[in-house]
Amino acid sequence: MPLAYSLPSDLSPATVTNTSSLLRIIALALISGAAIASRLFAVVNFESIIHEFDPWFNYRATKVLAEKGFYAFWNWFDHTAWYPLGRVVGGTIYPGLMATSGVIYNVLHALNLPVDIRNICVLLAPGFSALTAWSTYMFTKELKDESAGLLAAAFIGIAPGYISRSVAGSYDNEAIAIFLLMFTFYSWIKALKTGSAFFGTLTALFYFYMVAAWGGYAFITNMIPLHALTLILMGRFSSRLYVAYSSWYAIGTLASMQVPFVGFQPVRTSEHMAALGVFGLLQIVAFAELVRAHVSSRQFQSILFGSVIVIGVLGVLAFAGLTYKGWIAPWTGRFYSLWDTGYAKKYIPIIASVSEHQPTAWPSFFMDLQFLIFLFPAGVILCFRELRDEHVFVIIYAVVASYFAGVMVRLMLTLTPVVCVAAAVAFSSLLDTYIDPVEPEVSEVAVPVTGGDSSAASPATVDGAVSSKKAKKAAAAVADASSTGIASGIVAAIGGQSKSPKARGIFGLDTRFLIVVNALGMLLFFVLHCTYVTSSAYSSPSVVLASQNPDGSQHIIDDFREAYYWLRQNTPQDAVVMSWWDYGYQIAGMADRPTLVDNNTWNNTHIATVGKAMSSPEEVAYPILRKHDVDYVLIIFGGLIGYSGDDINKFLWMVRIAQGVWPDEIQEPNYFTPKGEYRIDDAASPTMKNSLMYKMSYYRFAELFGGSQAVDRVRGQQVPKTGPTLDYLDEAFTSENWIVRIYQVKKEDLLGRDLKTANAFANGKKRKKSKPLARRKALA
Amino acid sequence: MPAAKIAPSKTAGSSQSPLLSLWKAYYESTSTRLKTIDAFLVFLMLSGIIQFLYCVLITNFPFNAFLAGFASCVGQFVLAASLRAQVNPANRSEFKDVSPERAFADFALGSIVLHFFVYNFLG
Amino acid sequence: MRFLRTLLFPLVALTSLALARSSTGDTVLVLLEPSLKKENFSIFFGDLEKKGYKLTFRSPKDTTPEIIKDDVAQFAHVVVFAPETKTFAGDITPQTLVSLLSKKTNLLLALSPKQTPLSSLAAEFTLILPPPGTPLISHFPKRDTPATVVPVEPPRAHHIISDGLAPVWFSGVPQALGNSPMLVPLLQAPPQAFASDADSDSGADALVEAAEKSGEGLWAGSSLSLVTGFQALSNARATWVGGIEIFSDEYINKEISKGVKSGNRQFVKDVAAWTFQEANVLRIDTVEHHRVNETLPRETYTINNQVTYTAYISQYDPELDLWEPYSGINDLQLEFTMLDPHIRTSLPPVAGEPGKYSVSFRVPDRHGVFKFNVDYKRKGWSYLSSTTVVPIVPPRHDEYPRFLSAAWPYYAGAFSTSAAFLLFVALWLAGDEREPKKGKGSKAE
Repeated sequence: MPLAYSLPSDLSPATVTNTSSLLRIIALALISGAAIASRLFAVVNFESIIHEFDPWFNYRATKVLAEKGFYAFWNWFDHTAWYPLGRVVGGTIYPGLMATSGVIYNVLHALNLPVDIRNICVLLAPGFSALTAWSTYMFTKELKDESAGLLAAAFIGIAPGYISRSVAGSYDNEAIAIFLLMFTFYSWIKALKTGSAFFGTLTALFYFYMVAAWGGYAFITNMIPLHALTLILMGRFSSRLYVAYSSWYAIGTLASMQVPFVGFQPVRTSEHMAALGVFGLLQIVAFAELVRAHVSSRQFQSILFGSVIVIGVLGVLAFAGLTYKGWIAPWTGRFYSLWDTGYAKKYIPIIASVSEHQPTAWPSFFMDLQFLIFLFPAGVILCFRELRDEHVFVIIYAVVASYFAGVMVRLMLTLTPVVCVAAAVAFSSLLDTYIDPVEPEVSEVAVPVTGGDSSAASPATVDGAVSSKKAKKAAAAVADASSTGIASGIVAAIGGQSKSPKARGIFGLDTRFLIVVNALGMLLFFVLHCTYVTSSAYSSPSVVLASQNPDGSQHIIDDFREAYYWLRQNTPQDAVVMSWWDYGYQIAGMADRPTLVDNNTWNNTHIATVGKAMSSPEEVAYPILRKHDVDYVLIIFGGLIGYSGDDINKFLWMVRIAQGVWPDEIQEPNYFTPKGEYRIDDAASPTMKNSLMYKMSYYRFAELFGGSQAVDRVRGQQVPKTGPTLDYLDEAFTSENWIVRIYQVKKEDLLGRDLKTANAFANGKKRKKSKPLARRKALA
Repeated sequence: MPAAKIAPSKTAGSSQSPLLSLWKAYYESTSTRLKTIDAFLVFLMLSGIIQFLYCVLITNFPFNAFLAGFASCVGQFVLAASLRAQVNPANRSEFKDVSPERAFADFALGSIVLHFFVYNFLG
Repeated sequence: MRFLRTLLFPLVALTSLALARSSTGDTVLVLLEPSLKKENFSIFFGDLEKKGYKLTFRSPKDTTPEIIKDDVAQFAHVVVFAPETKTFAGDITPQTLVSLLSKKTNLLLALSPKQTPLSSLAAEFTLILPPPGTPLISHFPKRDTPATVVPVEPPRAHHIISDGLAPVWFSGVPQALGNSPMLVPLLQAPPQAFASDADSDSGADALVEAAEKSGEGLWAGSSLSLVTGFQALSNARATWVGGIEIFSDEYINKEISKGVKSGNRQFVKDVAAWTFQEANVLRIDTVEHHRVNETLPRETYTINNQVTYTAYISQYDPELDLWEPYSGINDLQLEFTMLDPHIRTSLPPVAGEPGKYSVSFRVPDRHGVFKFNVDYKRKGWSYLSSTTVVPIVPPRHDEYPRFLSAAWPYYAGAFSTSAAFLLFVALWLAGDEREPKKGKGSKAE
């Protein structure tokens, strides 16, 4: 066989195997290192701090677990959250993340390595991202081979779509959930391929871990049954499928009910009915196969076939009927809004108001995935060519994940693994073809050879001396011809049959060189893009803001922590703080004070009460504040430095949510000008000007400008010169850039007057003379 | 799940009832091992049906205990059925990687894990 | 604590026979305007000094001694006998007088028919004064004194004013009472009295018209109060007296009828005793809460627990200068509140244990952060309020009943499955030895 370039021929197969294993291990270690390192930008630029909002709650819960032990954590009733309702934390969280950190903490302490719990929490996500890379490698290895696996591991190690939720400091459920997702899928594929109940049990155990870790476990709950159903419909039912699915479902569902938050949902809600339905269908099909093998008559077989279909349809109708009757709960709002995208805005404004739940814009696909996004369809098509059971799975996963990623920005995260896998398959196939040194015979059958090894993502030099297992593989390749039998490049591969007697291939080194160098260049650009996006867009702690001074040096804006620590050090331990629910977890975590509402958003009426207090005049809001024992009110105001994520911009959502519960008292149109504009200057509507939020935001704001016109930099409007006055609240603290403002609620007046007249008296105003009260007229 | 062999044609033109002949064919053609598994399967099915009827007819309180008991029957049933499929010599071609010993080990491991979860959920 | 008290009782009784002390302090600042002479009020001041108060006199226009220095009140009580002063010194303004109340200083203020800063301050206490220059006038009973000097019957069966007093001579402005529940009227005007600017009854028609119009604008009748007490939320007391003469020696010695002295002396003593926190002063010593069968309090309680709440209340005894346990409150209430009271029950005194009020109840079936709330406000008595916050948690996961009898089929099912599994394994392994080996003989478990 002519070769484009010569391969060393004096290597024994054992050496080849060992060297390739060593190279793979080194490659995986380097990929893990790259994955961990690229997530550490925030720690290097700022400090080791928990980011955003949700992770602060997870961090508090982990601290309780680490300090007080598992029993206290399991039964933890947080009486400082959702004051005065409290929150039963033990039954309303996914404990997987905290349990993982707790175990790591205890293990390290048992080894006498006193690592602080905060550092464990901050660095957990990068650590698990290395494990995600490894499990993606294992998964892709089942699809194609080790080289595709390494590519996939590299891609997912640095792809921004995954990094965005797993930087150091982002201590959220997704940090471990994606690893569990990939590993569960890997063991499912393994179980399907081998038909071993061991892998089925392993899938069930990791599925249980995933259920304990993330609410998105419903994705696995529906993906695996969908895959099984597709295989059955394709006529690929086999005992291996039966063994794998049954052992997974039986053990996995029972295990998932152990998590208190999930409880009985797996047998009661629509999201889990698909798995149950497919389970039942599988039993019926298996039984039908068993009976069919005993009986040989065709007639009976067709009757059997028909009865299976009838039972299947009856089962679906039964599910629909039970759902209609209410025994099976319908799809919850969070999942239903994926199907009906307009549903949340009308009925559940809290879900609609979260910025992560908005539909995905096209540029964010490119930002998160760069060139993977156009390799992805190529990889899926290659899966169609192979179409083993595992390829069917990847195809289904790709289609479903693409739809979801288009509906909600947050679900880009579930798309990223399958994009990396499919793109790796495509890219690896390309490299295989062009690195393969075999040139086509002019008159002989070209034996497709699988080559390619260690084409790692690190921009290494062109590794021409690939040692391949070609000696062994050539014999097995005939049987395995479908794997990489592309004999003449990607374009021809789509339609070409590998066993054509015509000679097809690539001649010469120049083509090979060009393509391989181009491919490596694209990989290099990918790395540069990922690093750039990670460092600029996804590594901000969002607790600390950074901007640039005129001379280019970094200027840190630390108002949030300044205010939270003021609260922590200057208020009594049990002082209750009211703020909008975005900041609840941060206040609880950093200021350590009871809050009224927080990011858990489980009680809409309580949030609406806070919204009503914020949007009502002082006299109406004061009784609400006193009833809830509120001592301090905290708002975010970005008008001075131009921080656009402040409460005045969120104010309409507060009004809408309050209006949902009190439509008679709060109407959204009242807060707009008669022309329908949202203004905060002189033209603002009276309801807007009297609302507590407006008064608290602009109290004494005009004084800053010392006589000249005060301008709100976010809204771009001019604030009236005479600012609002506050009678029922006292200003307690304003941070350096006026981002956080804290007000203290006044207690009842000493003499029993209402606070407005009490304030007027304190300022020296005299009351009007009044007359004695009327009494009843005496009857004559 | 294909059975061991096609039943010998005792059913054709026999005066015995088809069920009885089916039973005879089954009894003779399956090995002891498979029959043990089948007996186990039948017992589990009965136990599951009894529990389900109790739940539906009498009371479904406490629901978690019902789920645990019922799931233990169902789970054990599918594990045993999987074992039967894997051990059946006619399926050797499908289960290349799983020898009968490995199948039994898998079965035992799966059952132990299942029982662990059952007892955790029961009380 | 109570044991010590019984020891101290005879000791203190011996040393302080005639002394009646205030519970908040002895120092009194008297702002006496220059036109009034101290000797004209010698009986009143003498009675105060005999009780043990230390009086300091100051003219309203002087700047020392200061009422408030460095944001600390310098005196326990302030008497403002400046009914006609139009300008005060810089540190005495209506706002500082109100702030004195917040610093728990008691006030005794005298008004006059003239318009002074004190008249505008009275409006803050929801006292509605008649127009300037209209003192109280009564033409009945027939007497020698002018119409502006009115004998008033003191209230009967009043918990502040002693019983059985002779009528009290009064001259000054009446006050119409506003809506505030903190007002404690101490001396009501006689039904025939009214406020008018002259003896000649020239404005009688206007009065009659106002009476027809359901009393708007009418300062007349027994709904007027002449001496009004006010207890602020800080428990500081302020008493407004319509005229200064009620304290004077002349009125104290004036005879109501032949041989019967007026009741002024004892009346003003009672008024001063109430104002200076001697009489009707209560406090909550301590509160306790615990589960019914335990004695120590817990940080949290579980739903449906039986909980006992106990409050210890004492009353100040001015003669002994002691706080003695007081069981005389029959209508004390306890609220167990989370946003709204979930439980509202009476807190009765425990028979046999003076000063102890206790109740046991079942915690509601709702978890959350609850408060034990005692809020007792009665006219003339100190306000009692106590709030104790306690979280109520749901049962721990191992506090539920472990084995439910209704679940026996499921227990039987699970156990039988396990037993059958073990039996099956045994049979399998035993059977394997009999059957010819197909492969390896070793079994992995």
